[in-house]
Amino acid sequence: MSIDTQAHNIEEATVQISPVTQGPPDAKTRRYDRQLRLWAASGQNALEGARVLVLGGTATTTSILKNLVLPGIGHFTILDSAKVTPEDAGNNFFLEGQSSIGKSRAKEAVRLLLELNDSVEGVADESDLEEILKKRPEYFATFSLVIAHNVEPQQLAQLSSLLWADASLPPLVVVRSAGFLAEFYIQFHEHTIIDTHSETMPSLRIDKPFPALLEHAMSLDFANMDLVEFEHVPYVVILVRVLEEWKKAHGGQAPKTADERKAFKQQIAGMQRKHDEENFEEAEAQAYRAWATTSVPSDVAALFADPGLIGLKPDSPPFFHLLDALKRFTERPPHVLPLSATLPDMKSDTKQYVHLQRLYKARAEEEKEEFKKLLGVQIHDGLVSEFVKNAHGIKILRGRRWGALDEEEGDLANALQNGPREACTHLALSALSAHFAKAPGTKPTLEQLQAEAYTIAGKGFQAPEELEHALGELVRAPTADIPTTAAFLGGLVAQEAIKVITTQYVPINGSCVVDLVGSWTGIVN
Amino acid sequence: MATATVAQAADWPGRYHHVDQVLEQPGPRTDEAWMPGAPAKSFRENIKILVIGAGGLGCEILANLALMGFKDIHVIDMDTIDVSNLNRQFLFRPSDVGRPKAIAAAEFIMKRVPGVTVTPYHGKIQDKGTDYYMQFTLVICGLDSVEARRWINATLVDMVDEENQDSLKPLIDGGTEGFRGQARVILPTITSCYECSLDMLNKQTAFPICTIANTPRLPEHCIEWASVLEWPRVRGDEKMDTDNPDHITWLYNLAAARAKDFKIEGVTWALTQGVVKNIIPAIASTNAIIAASCCNEAFKIVTSCAPYLDNYFMMIGTDGVYSYTFQHEKRPECPVCGGELLDISVPRSWTVERFIESLIERQDIQVKKPSLMSGAKQIYFQAPPQLEAATRPNLEKLLSDLVADGSEMTVTATTLPFNLNVRITYI
Ligand SMILES: [Zn+2]
Repeated sequence: MSIDTQAHNIEEATVQISPVTQGPPDAKTRRYDRQLRLWAASGQNALEGARVLVLGGTATTTSILKNLVLPGIGHFTILDSAKVTPEDAGNNFFLEGQSSIGKSRAKEAVRLLLELNDSVEGVADESDLEEILKKRPEYFATFSLVIAHNVEPQQLAQLSSLLWADASLPPLVVVRSAGFLAEFYIQFHEHTIIDTHSETMPSLRIDKPFPALLEHAMSLDFANMDLVEFEHVPYVVILVRVLEEWKKAHGGQAPKTADERKAFKQQIAGMQRKHDEENFEEAEAQAYRAWATTSVPSDVAALFADPGLIGLKPDSPPFFHLLDALKRFTERPPHVLPLSATLPDMKSDTKQYVHLQRLYKARAEEEKEEFKKLLGVQIHDGLVSEFVKNAHGIKILRGRRWGALDEEEGDLANALQNGPREACTHLALSALSAHFAKAPGTKPTLEQLQAEAYTIAGKGFQAPEELEHALGELVRAPTADIPTTAAFLGGLVAQEAIKVITTQYVPINGSCVVDLVGSWTGIVN
Repeated sequence: MATATVAQAADWPGRYHHVDQVLEQPGPRTDEAWMPGAPAKSFRENIKILVIGAGGLGCEILANLALMGFKDIHVIDMDTIDVSNLNRQFLFRPSDVGRPKAIAAAEFIMKRVPGVTVTPYHGKIQDKGTDYYMQFTLVICGLDSVEARRWINATLVDMVDEENQDSLKPLIDGGTEGFRGQARVILPTITSCYECSLDMLNKQTAFPICTIANTPRLPEHCIEWASVLEWPRVRGDEKMDTDNPDHITWLYNLAAARAKDFKIEGVTWALTQGVVKNIIPAIASTNAIIAASCCNEAFKIVTSCAPYLDNYFMMIGTDGVYSYTFQHEKRPECPVCGGELLDISVPRSWTVERFIESLIERQDIQVKKPSLMSGAKQIYFQAPPQLEAATRPNLEKLLSDLVADGSEMTVTATTLPFNLNVRITYI
């Protein structure tokens, strides 16, 4: 993803979040309700600001576009100089059967796609890709994403080098398919994600309680508490209390050995009055949190060595300023991420739970202020909050240029070893591309494709049996854009495009291959 | 016959150029006995296929089937179109809001793909009997209701007659939730069925009544209080309509006030609607993937041009693209397709009421209001009212006083499309 676009998106996404609705939603929110529950207003704003260029009006590309137009992408252009053939009219839902034959494929597809959503802008461009590549390379700079399906190999090579040469140019999604087999790849330099929608819960810091939490836990008078209150002390408080007492009795150490941990749990059990208090049972079940050391998760710590932090300038993307502040925040004791204000539900009553929630919230607010002092530039408060809240799941993906897998020494060999079935599907599609590069429009033989595969794989290549499974399918249907394969790819590619555009969730890094004979998908990298 | 003639007339040279490539030549994994060409293409004329559901998955399924060459398609759906469907159910337009989904979808497909007949039925699958289902070669399900899927699954398993090959109707079932989905092929009585895998469903979060009533902590607790306790208390027998914005607003106002009293944050109108309607996020892309997978398997089954899925494909799209294809195994004690009794161990100290609670909690049974019989003995009946009243005193009795150790018991419920027989042993 180009740095400029992304920075823009993050900022825009967080600035434009609509206020929480206190009444029935407006028409747009109702229409998009089921998706807003996944990517929220920030993701929706990013989608609506995106401009997608699609090369070729095939069954596959119109399937992809359908899944981008429905959720409300801002703009799409179909670049296609072809006229609708009888074959096109048979496999593409966004052509109108025989009545479309002979008309502009781009115009027909755009017209029918636009019926799906009034708020989307669509343009049919009948220019020639070859001509644009030669004379108007700046054409691509106005888009946020380019998607190419079964583009002629030489043109694809030119296009991918052009877009790779300048990091500010849009990412490129390369899609190849024939019959039951398919693959797609996203070419991007760098993709940073704040909200990965990670399923890991941030630490509650039971082992490193902040002062207000420790003070609260130690102030409770368990012995003289009335029973109802006793039965509703949140497990977090119980664990902090027991751990503190344990440490006092064990030279400041948390329980380490299996025996110690057992004793620790017994200590919790021993505090019960009736032996069936659910909050104490929960504390016992969650006891591991007392000895699991809260530290910076290794995936996040690894980002502190990211090249994006080197030579940080005021106009560097906000993500890296935030990451830099995070790094410095964690360098100070107690070497943890800023506290998350989110408290999971637990056995408790309203009073004690809300009190605990407020302690976490107040502390999280304080730490966010500390964090802000470490920022080298001014960043919008909404974005800082978003970053701090999701700090345990942030990610940076670094991509490679299209073709690197086949061209760089040893890469394909590794892929073949790690996942022969997946790598063979990729290799077979590369062999088919190589064949079409030499003999456009001709049906390949198995021998021809085998020869191409051996050439690509290089010296010492021993074909696993999966290669023939893949090559045989391509010989069978080298130019088939089957509606179900197209629809399957249409879903997958649109899904990944949405993740790239919204900078939410995690897109693929590598090549995603699809085999609809065996009904499986896989990743090659 | 008339249908076939119309269909042929609408075909034009090259129409099936793409699909025909895999029907005119075998692939490396195609069965050796397979006959390419005309026999493989005959499905266009002689196959009748049923699609259950014309919603997110259904729209995609219908479009795929039509393009693949299926020409006699039937579709059942009981719903009408809502504005929140338009972000993914791409056969519908704003002007269709309020119309029956099955009818609008059928019209659109026939308009867009010439020569295809789509016969809609706006109503419940339970309205139709065995004769109706017997006319199809194959059934594809794109439903969001567990209850409806259990019903069609049990019906198709029940229909299998060993003497009659045609009575076995493959069932292809698709399901999605946000970025996740699954597609599976069920050969009734032969492979694992829908009921066999019931325990794989996500457990719904149910909040205990005492939390809702006394110790709310989350905004959801306040919303549940408004809908479960306050609505019946204040509005009596009036039926709550979760599609009525006035009803949601009423609940929202109550929930927000309660949240304020308890200093709980986060009650919004959208959350209120989400909780009371049990809204599951849904997007076009996931539906496209799963529907395509279902139709691809249907195509492979009817043409034999490639092996079909055996028998489960699941996909998660939140972190890259993760999918897993595997063989889900039959459960010997499956109440629909297994032959064995389900064994349930019960503490001797349990009352009938406690036992019923434990049945409701079981993920592999998923029953809401079970009635119990042991032999001819009525243990507890939820309905009719006289029978409920007559059996109610049993709720407080020990199960072990009513049912002998090792004996069988029958569980029935309106939501259960079969009688569940279990064997009770005491511990
Ligand atoms: Zn079963």
